[in-house]
Amino acid sequence: MPASAAWARPEDLVESLSSLDNTARLKALRDVKNQIIGNKTKKLSYIKLGAVPRVVEILASDTEIPLLVQSAAAVGSFACGIDAGVKAVLDSGVLPHLLKMLQNGDNKVVEACARSLKMIFHSPLAPKSDMFEGHRMELILELLNNGSENVAEVAASVLARCCETLEHQQALADAGGLRSLVSLLAGSVKKQEAALDALAALTKHNQQLSAILIMMDQGAALSLIIRLIRDKSPRMRLLACMCLAHIGKACPAGYGQEDEVRINMLGILMKLLDEPGQVGEDAPGVLADLVTNNEELQKIAQKENAVEKLADILHRDTLPAKQLEGVLLALAELCSRLEESRRQLLDSQVEAPIVAAFGHPCEGVKVAACSCVKSLSRSVKNLRTALTGERLVIPLLQLLSDPSSAVQVQAIAAVGNIVLDFTLQKTVVMQSSGIDQLVHFAQSMDPILRRNAVLALKNLLYMADSVVKGRVVNELTVSTLCELIRDSEEDVQEQAISLVRNLAYGDPDCIDYVFAHGDLLLQAVEQQLSVSLRPEISMQALYVINNVAAGNERHKDAVMDLVAPHKALSNTSGFLLNRYLQDMINPQLRVVAVWCIINLTYPGGTGTSSRVTRLKNAGVESLLQKMADDPCLDVKDRVKTALEHFSTAVTLVATTSGQ
Amino acid sequence: MLVPLCELPVPLMMPTAMPGQALPPTCTFLNVGQAFAGTQNVSSSQKDEAWKVNVRLQGCDMQRGYLCGSMEALNVPSAETPVVTFWEGEIVDNKNYTFYTGKWEATKETDVKHWSKFSSFEELRDDVQKDGGKSFDLANYPYMFMRWKEKFFVNVGTDCGLTIAGFYYVCFSRSDGSVHGFYYDPNSSPYQKLELKATNEGRAGYSFATYQFQ
Repeated sequence: MPASAAWARPEDLVESLSSLDNTARLKALRDVKNQIIGNKTKKLSYIKLGAVPRVVEILASDTEIPLLVQSAAAVGSFACGIDAGVKAVLDSGVLPHLLKMLQNGDNKVVEACARSLKMIFHSPLAPKSDMFEGHRMELILELLNNGSENVAEVAASVLARCCETLEHQQALADAGGLRSLVSLLAGSVKKQEAALDALAALTKHNQQLSAILIMMDQGAALSLIIRLIRDKSPRMRLLACMCLAHIGKACPAGYGQEDEVRINMLGILMKLLDEPGQVGEDAPGVLADLVTNNEELQKIAQKENAVEKLADILHRDTLPAKQLEGVLLALAELCSRLEESRRQLLDSQVEAPIVAAFGHPCEGVKVAACSCVKSLSRSVKNLRTALTGERLVIPLLQLLSDPSSAVQVQAIAAVGNIVLDFTLQKTVVMQSSGIDQLVHFAQSMDPILRRNAVLALKNLLYMADSVVKGRVVNELTVSTLCELIRDSEEDVQEQAISLVRNLAYGDPDCIDYVFAHGDLLLQAVEQQLSVSLRPEISMQALYVINNVAAGNERHKDAVMDLVAPHKALSNTSGFLLNRYLQDMINPQLRVVAVWCIINLTYPGGTGTSSRVTRLKNAGVESLLQKMADDPCLDVKDRVKTALEHFSTAVTLVATTSGQ
Repeated sequence: MLVPLCELPVPLMMPTAMPGQALPPTCTFLNVGQAFAGTQNVSSSQKDEAWKVNVRLQGCDMQRGYLCGSMEALNVPSAETPVVTFWEGEIVDNKNYTFYTGKWEATKETDVKHWSKFSSFEELRDDVQKDGGKSFDLANYPYMFMRWKEKFFVNVGTDCGLTIAGFYYVCFSRSDGSVHGFYYDPNSSPYQKLELKATNEGRAGYSFATYQFQ
């Protein structure tokens, strides 16, 4: 008969866990543990029967070594691979007991407790900040030096899992964690892997700790890690790559042979993509980190067909969330700058899996899918041939209402590119609730959302027809737009002003939208022009003035009243444009200022000669004459045109008065 | 531009570009949204044809020597409707692209022969033949040399009777935004000439649109 036949009924076993007889308790513990190992159904049913608090109670109050070992092991079994189990053990208050037992004199107890902690910390439910309370971290760090292989390995794994914020990293480093982990790199394979895992967690987005690790022992620690990217064990290769990718991202060009190491890592990671299990699942995320902001490496990856390879993975039926997120992030990075990579990805028919990822339950996957679309859509060609269909745009717009703000931020950035559309009618966005949503976010309290929404509306207005422009002005309203121009954030101001620039682009009926509420908008722009010290803002404001000055007589005269009011004529410094004509640091400001003059003096208008006279009185013509040899070719050419306008106007005036 | 397939392949153009984080154009006539208007001429012993052409820049990234846009051919004798294509351009900046095409069936001889059709190339010709013109300061030269290559038809199918197999050698004048081009396609009639001027589309001034990729 199999042994299980001899087991008591589950209800009785649970009862025995609280028996007063030590032998009975121990037997019950063993039986429960043996039954639940690898069996989710059994775990759930014992959790339901209330076994977990009884197991934890043994750990909390017993003193006999076998009882402690078995109860710690049972806790680990409950927590292994099932979130309900992790929740049950944590709800029973197991954490302080496990930590306390780490100080137990018996190594078997310590080892069993450490293993359970490792199981718990594999789950996203683990309370990571708790580990940094009191002396718990010091306790774990001490275990790194424990003679037992398993204990040291487990301690490093726990560190790897619970170190998630800058404060965590700093606390660990302050307690000497970096040094202890580096020492562990000299140990067995298991110890090395766990140490790399923890070092990767310590260096992630941490410039300071990355720099310390690079310098440690005259670079010996780093060299060891670099050697480990070629280790026999795939997991070791992955973790060493992860560690180096984090260091490289936090500390670019941090060490001598970095470029070469990165190229090697690229090849290694590409192969690891095919590994089964966790290594294969984690590899794409590491690849994404490796190629971030590194165009040279992205080019090499493109030549090695990384895009096709990742796209193939994307087409698999089911992918674990982590792997899916990593693949999408890697593709987003690889396509962030290279048109050829974007082409390859679009040729791989990935629209359907990307759209499916928009509806994924995990936040990270949705964010990554949006990033991917954002990268793909940084291309006029792609926007003209793909990406602007309802099948992709409608679900993307739906993500603007996602409960997660991380998803909203990425979705709005992708929408910002997509709305460009490069058609006059911007059909899909006009027919959906896209504009309402963008207008809503333009008034968000979050400055990043606000900026991205205004940028998206600006792009929507690029070369848009009058219907689109009218709708945006109506929904956004002139008063909100004025507030955005005066926003507390300069990034928002810049986007709002360039939105007005696009509004004013084109025929006089478009320019009329700028005057929807008298000259309120123009005044707000002029105010920023007067006070802003940021050249980008001045430039966008000058373009607004330029575009309005390209309109009809009424528009040109409104600009004149703004930039050269009659009362300031006696004082040439009162002429707003003169400051920019003389800005020797920014040729781009000079050139737009000259374009404004060209438009104001544009031949043929009924008011041209009077504007020319006013501008002359403001000292503009003599300023332009001094610019005839401007060091910037573009400025020089435009000055020539502007001066021609002045002399044409003089000729015309002379002709007229001669008649 | 477009030439009937059976006789002279006709190319069209439309661009793709990447502003946003890109360097600003060194000439305001290369701003996104800028329109150009003019003609394309096909002259041969059998015939002498010309049709109107409109071009609009849609993207420009000086850092990558890249620009793109659309090209519309009107009144093409062999086409029933205006034909619009999308083109991408390479700016000869000796960083991203040189005077030598190295593709599209253009040999070095083809390159020099075509560039030499532009009088503004005269000054560079010896340098280009000597070392590819690498030492020449193109950034401060009043003309910019480019290749425009049509990528696809926008409003018609590939069975429209026209071809976009070839590409244009282009000389762009920074002072007035005028464009001169010669179409090259080994299977088309040689030296079809493109002549465009920057236009403000009939407005009383010049206006400039903008967009930014995220």
